[in-house]
Amino acid sequence: MRKLAIVIFTFVCITLFYFTILSASKVFKTDWELPQSTAHVDMKQRLVLITQELETPFWDKVAKGAMEEAEKEGASLEVWGSYGNNQEEFLKKIEIAIYSQMDGIILQGVDTDEFKTLTKIKAASYGIPIITVANDVPMGDSLRKSYVGSDQYVAGKMIAEQLIADMGADGEVAIMIDIQHQYFQEQRVEGIRDVLQRYPDIQTHYIEMHDAREQVIATTKDVLNQNPNLDAFIVINVDILAAMINEVERRSQIEPYFIYSFDDDYDSITLLNQGKIDGILEQSPEEMGTMSVKLILDWLSNREVPLDLEGYQTDIQIIKANDGK
Amino acid sequence: MNSIQKKILVLVVAVLFIMVAIWTSLTYYNQKMQYQYNNILERYLIMNEVTNESQQIVAALNNYIIEPTEANLEEINKNKSKVLSTKNKVIEFRNIDNNYALTNYENLIESLVETTEQSVLARSEQQTEDYLNALSEASRISKYISEMTLTIIDTELNTYERFYRSIIENSEELRMLGIWLLPLITMLLLFLTHLFSKRITRPINKLTQAAHEFSLGRFDVKIDVDSNDEISFLAKMFDKMRININNYLSEIKQKAQLENELQQSKLLLQESQLRSLQSQINPHFLYNTLDILSKKAYLEGAEETSDLLVNVAGLLRYNLNKLGNSTSLFEEVQVLNQYINIQNTRFIDRLQFHLEIDNSCLDVQIPRLTLQPIIENAIIHAVEPVEEGGSIWFRVVDELDHVRLEIEDNGPGMPEEKVQQILQLKTTKSEGHFTGIGINNVVKRLSLFYNYNDVFDIESKVGIGTKVILKIPKTRRVEGQ
Repeated sequence: MRKLAIVIFTFVCITLFYFTILSASKVFKTDWELPQSTAHVDMKQRLVLITQELETPFWDKVAKGAMEEAEKEGASLEVWGSYGNNQEEFLKKIEIAIYSQMDGIILQGVDTDEFKTLTKIKAASYGIPIITVANDVPMGDSLRKSYVGSDQYVAGKMIAEQLIADMGADGEVAIMIDIQHQYFQEQRVEGIRDVLQRYPDIQTHYIEMHDAREQVIATTKDVLNQNPNLDAFIVINVDILAAMINEVERRSQIEPYFIYSFDDDYDSITLLNQGKIDGILEQSPEEMGTMSVKLILDWLSNREVPLDLEGYQTDIQIIKANDGK
Repeated sequence: MNSIQKKILVLVVAVLFIMVAIWTSLTYYNQKMQYQYNNILERYLIMNEVTNESQQIVAALNNYIIEPTEANLEEINKNKSKVLSTKNKVIEFRNIDNNYALTNYENLIESLVETTEQSVLARSEQQTEDYLNALSEASRISKYISEMTLTIIDTELNTYERFYRSIIENSEELRMLGIWLLPLITMLLLFLTHLFSKRITRPINKLTQAAHEFSLGRFDVKIDVDSNDEISFLAKMFDKMRININNYLSEIKQKAQLENELQQSKLLLQESQLRSLQSQINPHFLYNTLDILSKKAYLEGAEETSDLLVNVAGLLRYNLNKLGNSTSLFEEVQVLNQYINIQNTRFIDRLQFHLEIDNSCLDVQIPRLTLQPIIENAIIHAVEPVEEGGSIWFRVVDELDHVRLEIEDNGPGMPEEKVQQILQLKTTKSEGHFTGIGINNVVKRLSLFYNYNDVFDIESKVGIGTKVILKIPKTRRVEGQ
């Protein structure tokens, strides 16, 4: 009896001891994983890339290229912006970037008055260099230091030439233009016009519209009704593309039409793969990101002064439906 | 100092040590937690402060623009310095994750201050459009600041999420530790106390047991306490006491025995003296009468009768002397001779008495009237009842440290039981002895006189005879004096 009691007592003691030690080690051994604090102000160049089309394939690639370059150069870069072309939010971000006294700002150019006011007056008064990327706004309007991206005029020409090559020098072409008249879009239109002018047999219709879905559908209907002999569409703004294709498809076969678009976003690539459109103009977003960061850092460290005000062109090429497959 | 006090002290210190260790570690841990909590809270509070202060600046600026007084300007400046000092506090929260955002944050605050200054300047120069623009700009910046505060707090939450989680987990673990610790300490303390109390009470119990034995009168159980404190000292003393008591007790017993023996010898002496007194009925008259009878017989020519009377008178005289005194063997033998002469007259030819005496031994001291009763006994048992009479031998032999006296007869002898009875002094009757002194008396006196039990011995065989042996030491042993 006494022996049993002793055995039980010892067992209980050992069990308690084991669990207590286990618990104590857990309590006292936890390492407080605090982020490493840096007491000194980091002297790295602070850059920001602002776009109004966050998380689209195109801008993701731009951001990726920029990030890689910034990391390589030892600068810190953040990507700000708004979703789905939200102008107001986009402008606010720019303002914050200016008030935060960034070392450099890389912007998607938006050809609006508010944008120009911010870049021209605010940024300049804080002495912050701005580089536009992908979409340009003329230097005179924005006081940007440079532009990195496709030469939209050349891009327009390339699309037009491709159209001629595919369709022949005879036909009716509808050019779908965003009513906002953004600078880069106008340049594209100009490029197209300059090529098509050389072919008198080609009849062109310049159709302006808002990029809201209902508007696009209504305008497309209108165009198809008024010009039943249309052979080709050139879509200046990719936002228009999906709705337009939808409407055309609803009325007739899509195959007979030659359809071309700028900007390789998710929708357009899908449509290209489905063979619904004949070609898109592919830009080099990663190169844009990389180069913009490199240029702005060069400028900040006085390695390359001044920058080319006309801008730096990145590669463009046309992907045809056949290539895409 | 190895005592109960020390043991208690050790126990208390051990318990205290456990308590202090637990208390210290818990307090330390708590402090650490508190510190972390405070840091976190402070971080958020300061962020919030920035927001509030930037709003206050805008409010003050607005007041100033409406009413450009010195007091309002003062208010602006006060708020400005406040927000700048808070900014400096914010800098301390910089870490890898929020480095970028914090720089922006600081710059925003600076921009706010600058814009405010511009606005104040414009107001004082009455440039209406400028100062209104600057005011709206300032209010926008203030809005951005509060937005960015939220963003930073948000990133903080993300950055520190694992840290916060670990704090929560830790506090849970701490609770568990508390739960485990309580029974463990309870068990340990119970165990310690048990050991400790046993160490103290076991020797006490042993002592109690020993005391109980004592009270029952058992003094021969050794007290064995193997602790090393006061109890063991007590036990040792107790044991010593036990041994002493034991010794005293045996001494008392010895004394009592001695006293008893003394008493017995006194009684015997008294008895024999009484006997002798009884027979001392005017002894001088008897002696004189016997003398006269002897002379008369001699004058009348009865020489034999005269001798007989002389012997009788001598024997009586010897007999009437003090019994307690010792005498030499020589004197005893002489008395014995006188007695034999008398008996010879009685038995004539029936009694054959043989003397074999080593003369060198005749000066040993023996109690008075030792031999005569033995011889008389021999005559009574070996000669008287036998018609043709019997022989008696008396021998004195020197045997180094003692003298051996032998009285042998060729009478009918005794069975062994009878011999044992006599040796153990169980017979009481003395049948018609001359001196009234029986064999019993002789045996007792001999053993008392020599303090030695083997003095007297009897060898007897039925039909052959009886031999009484006395071993008289040459030097009388002196004991107990």
